[in-house]
Amino acid sequence: MEHAFLDEYSHSDSFIHRLEPRIKIACFFLFVFYVAFQRSCNIYVYGAYAIVMMSLVRVSRIPLAFVFRRVVSVLPFIVMIALSIPFMKAGQEGATIALGSLKLSVSFEGIVLFVNIVIKACLSIIAMTLLMASTDFSQLLKAFEKLHVPGVLLMVLSFMYRYLFVIEDELMKMRLAKDSRTIGGSKWFHLKAQANMLGVLFIRAYERAEKVYLAMCARGYEGKMRTLYDAKVTLRDVLFCVVFFGVMTIIKLNG
Amino acid sequence: MAKKAIEIKNLNFTYPDGTQALKDVSLDILEGEAVGIIGPNGAGKSTLLLHFNGILSGNNHIRIFDIPISDKTLPQIRRKVGLIFQDPNNQLFMPTVFDDVAFGPLTMGLSKDKVQTAVDEALGEVDLLNCRRRSSHHLSSGQKKRVALATVLSMNPEILVLDEPSSDLDPKHRRDLIVILKRLTATKIIATHDLDLVLEVCSRVVIIDEGKVVAIGDAREVFNNKQLLESHNLGVPSALCRIG
Repeated sequence: MEHAFLDEYSHSDSFIHRLEPRIKIACFFLFVFYVAFQRSCNIYVYGAYAIVMMSLVRVSRIPLAFVFRRVVSVLPFIVMIALSIPFMKAGQEGATIALGSLKLSVSFEGIVLFVNIVIKACLSIIAMTLLMASTDFSQLLKAFEKLHVPGVLLMVLSFMYRYLFVIEDELMKMRLAKDSRTIGGSKWFHLKAQANMLGVLFIRAYERAEKVYLAMCARGYEGKMRTLYDAKVTLRDVLFCVVFFGVMTIIKLNG
Repeated sequence: MAKKAIEIKNLNFTYPDGTQALKDVSLDILEGEAVGIIGPNGAGKSTLLLHFNGILSGNNHIRIFDIPISDKTLPQIRRKVGLIFQDPNNQLFMPTVFDDVAFGPLTMGLSKDKVQTAVDEALGEVDLLNCRRRSSHHLSSGQKKRVALATVLSMNPEILVLDEPSSDLDPKHRRDLIVILKRLTATKIIATHDLDLVLEVCSRVVIIDEGKVVAIGDAREVFNNKQLLESHNLGVPSALCRIG
């Protein structure tokens, strides 16, 4: 059965796709740090950051719609967490909402901070989406390994990438098998069957994990994942890094 | 006389749930030999294969090139014995085909260049060089099966243990598999229901039923004994049917 790729656009080709993964990770994390540590809510500075990131998205030829879909899917969580800020932050009172005896007042400073956080989050999500979408997942993991991210964490991600869809496949196949034998029956009966399927799925996933481990042992696994990293830093990568860092610093200094 | 590649003496194995999967199995396999292990479903073929590189250990009566299997010798044994599992989804656990085929050579500590050559050779052997950057999840089951073979070929093992290597393969790649297996000089042990493959590749055949070795012998001889084969839910290879 076919599924969407986790790294859907990572196999197309562009300047951004061809950048060395470590350089890309460094630049994009730098971007997130710069954005996160931007102190004042200066609309021009954020505008400049946004222009930098959007032009990179443009160069990568990844559809804007895809990037925005990602932003929209993460945004509700950010808003939910940040929503209390306008009420909590002390400052000049803007508006008061009365709920019976409870009085909630919104401060201007709080609203500014809230907008600030949401903008920062959006810019960071765009940067991370571009990083994920323009890099092959396995290359990304290898680059993180080279950058000394703990191996266990990367192994979990690597196995997730490999087996998430295998397990989804199993569920879909079970469902097909069930549907092709379904003739009538009450809702309650089918609900029970679904619950059983989940149980079976868990056991299968568990047993598969055991077998995968055995297969790893059979090929000489001794507790350390080894991979071959063949990407090399070229002059182009260094140039990109320098220009990117320069532009970011200019924006920062003018902000 | 050739050296003994695998020596098994009175092997018993019981699964944790109490099922006795192997009963008093004794078997010698010589260096360079190709042995087919056949038997009905649930006879204990796969269980036996898992003993060859120490994944299961019933008791310590197995020697590989005269080395007893123990925790100490495991790395050495696993370098010599390449085991290919039946379900390639278990065999292929890395994000891309290349990483999977390179896994074995890398754990063996080969240099970068040697790993590259080993991977290219192994993938070339199974006709999948153009898939190296792909994720194994997006391959067909026959392709997965061939990548699984490549993951072990890249380690260049002295003994090759295969569990149902020809299932899921289309006729062309099944033929290719037979050609590859015939060409490889390594000692081969193949558990399968594909009797024609056994007839073509193997010189000796072992029949296992209910965990016991019921017959060992020259492939032609065993396959000509129709009564024996049918009494263990097997049949005569179609290649021999036509002659008879």
